[in-house]
Amino acid sequence: MADVQLVHLSKVYDNGVVAVNDLNLEIGEGEFVVLVGPSGCGKTTALRMVAGLEEISDGEIRIGGRVVNDLPPRERDIAMVFQNYALYPHKTVYENLAFGLRMRKVPKDEQKRRVQEIARVLGLADMLKRRPAQLSGGQRQRVAMGRAIVREPKAFLMDEPLSNLDAKLRVQMRAEIARIQQALRVTTVYVTHDQVEAMTMGNRVAVMRDGLLQQVDTPQRLYDAPVNLFVASFVGSPAMNLVEASLELDDGKLVCRIGDTVLELPSDLTAERPSLANYAGRRVAVGIRPEDVREAAGWDGARLRGRILLVESLGSEQLVHIEITAAPLERSDLVDTAAQLPGPSLGVDDSERSVTLLGRFDRHLLLASGEAVEVAIDPRLLHFFDLETGAAISRVGVPVATPVAG
Amino acid sequence: MSSRQLGKVGWNALGLAVFVVMIFPVYWMVSTAFKTGPNIFSYSPKWLPIPATLANFGDAIHRQYFWQNVRNSLIVVVVVVTLSLALAFLAALALAKFRFYGRKAFIVITIAVLMVPLNALIIPLYITLSRVHEVNKLSGVIITYMTFVLPFAIWTLRGFILGVPRELEEAAMVDGTTRFGAFVRILLPLVAPGLVATSIFAFIQAWNEYIIAYVLLSSPEKQTLTVWLASFTTNRGTEWGPLMAGATLTAVPVVIFFLIVQRRIAFGLTSGAVRG
Repeated sequence: MADVQLVHLSKVYDNGVVAVNDLNLEIGEGEFVVLVGPSGCGKTTALRMVAGLEEISDGEIRIGGRVVNDLPPRERDIAMVFQNYALYPHKTVYENLAFGLRMRKVPKDEQKRRVQEIARVLGLADMLKRRPAQLSGGQRQRVAMGRAIVREPKAFLMDEPLSNLDAKLRVQMRAEIARIQQALRVTTVYVTHDQVEAMTMGNRVAVMRDGLLQQVDTPQRLYDAPVNLFVASFVGSPAMNLVEASLELDDGKLVCRIGDTVLELPSDLTAERPSLANYAGRRVAVGIRPEDVREAAGWDGARLRGRILLVESLGSEQLVHIEITAAPLERSDLVDTAAQLPGPSLGVDDSERSVTLLGRFDRHLLLASGEAVEVAIDPRLLHFFDLETGAAISRVGVPVATPVAG
Repeated sequence: MSSRQLGKVGWNALGLAVFVVMIFPVYWMVSTAFKTGPNIFSYSPKWLPIPATLANFGDAIHRQYFWQNVRNSLIVVVVVVTLSLALAFLAALALAKFRFYGRKAFIVITIAVLMVPLNALIIPLYITLSRVHEVNKLSGVIITYMTFVLPFAIWTLRGFILGVPRELEEAAMVDGTTRFGAFVRILLPLVAPGLVATSIFAFIQAWNEYIIAYVLLSSPEKQTLTVWLASFTTNRGTEWGPLMAGATLTAVPVVIFFLIVQRRIAFGLTSGAVRG
């Protein structure tokens, strides 16, 4: 077991593509860190550099304090779980599990003991004589995990190990991997494009985009205080609602105008975010989580009027798509493409443009599409972002954001 | 009978017809080899060699240069198969695994070479080989055979190597092997079926080839078996009995070789390595 440090790590391919750009990340001993981002963001490349399968263009990787830049994979004492499992098809499950031990000259009886122990833990004891082709997807996945665990390496590297499983099995294995990692307390770097996996599994989550690290933090802090528009739109499912709004000074008080609705920002909010005052008279991006969009009954603050477009019932709650009058975010390059908003409609007045607001409502509320509805927005729950850089207009004490653009 | 069953019968009949057409020359060759002289030439065809005789085989074996020519054929085949397999495997490995300048051009040229009709090459090949004094030598024939066995072998093996996911070798390297170790322990066993298939192709090509051997090898003691077979046809006619016996004997090694290695052809050996 050891810590893993990535110091100013960069990868530039021969054709000039920068896959990883100056990545700094420290994974503590026994920590589970998830690298997450849309495909092509450089997370897998970073992982492969740690494994020694990809050459390092610049920077340093240290495992347990030792610089491993020039060490071949076998001398780094790490184990890797591949996205497609990469089981040796001509070897039995037993031979697959024992291969790493054999290569490291572990005595035969010790090999046998360890393989059988792992097989028992993973429920593979009856399948040791089978070949990978005779296993189901979930069993193959467990063999791949077992092959990594049995080695007792300094660190686990996992490259989207669950992406080939069906949804139900994925949820099950997600918990199983997290449980195994907690039991073994092995330093783990886990790569995924699935933000739900990232949020549920990691001690800390590192969000990447276009080779650049956006934010590293605990899942909860990532959710509560995203440093920029990209992280805000990427983390959370369903994604955060984002609209353009303008901040104005009204009678010495800061107000936020969304469409034709004016929200008064309470003084404690402006006190917490002193830099917000600098944006008076300017346009900003405003975000609100779907669970913070509430039905307005009993609310005495400002309300947004809208029309219900669609109600999706999830059993425990309902997702309601509400069309409100507001300006859609035009800097769509600053947000996760999967959660992309409608394209620009230049030259049209705010009051004539509409945005779909997603709300998570209690299942007992009787709502039907086509109905008019009023939603309550608590200004304290709003997230504010600079429209130019995408950076969050943060609370005092929260570190300054890395801008997305650039 | 439903139309579905009818269709099935139709397909079976077609398959049977193809089988009969394919097997008949072989049957006729073997059958004739055992026939006595008058039966070979009888106007009403004799389907079975009754009475059977081994005299034709005796004639063939005791004919001049038979054993000498068997030896020649074996030398040519063994050298062509081993050399082409070794060279093609390394070339295919480079083409499949490494990116280098001119890689695509090389692959295209390899196919282009396969498309040139062999008969068009005989005269230029002869002239070239005679300049370097390789005419009427087994080595000249071997080099010539390599020119058409190699491109095919490279092409086939490249496909087999590409069929092995890169992650398998990477997994082995993470598991503690060197790059060469991953090659020997993981890649080699997985492309073994490809090596077998390619060696069968090379063996059959080199063993059955006639025209080039006939053109390049002029002295009887240097010739290969296929050319030797042609010696049964002379100005005074063809000795059908011994010719068929000789042809049967020539076919036997190919059949034996195939029986030995066919067990090893297990296509789809890589299944189960990846995904579900």
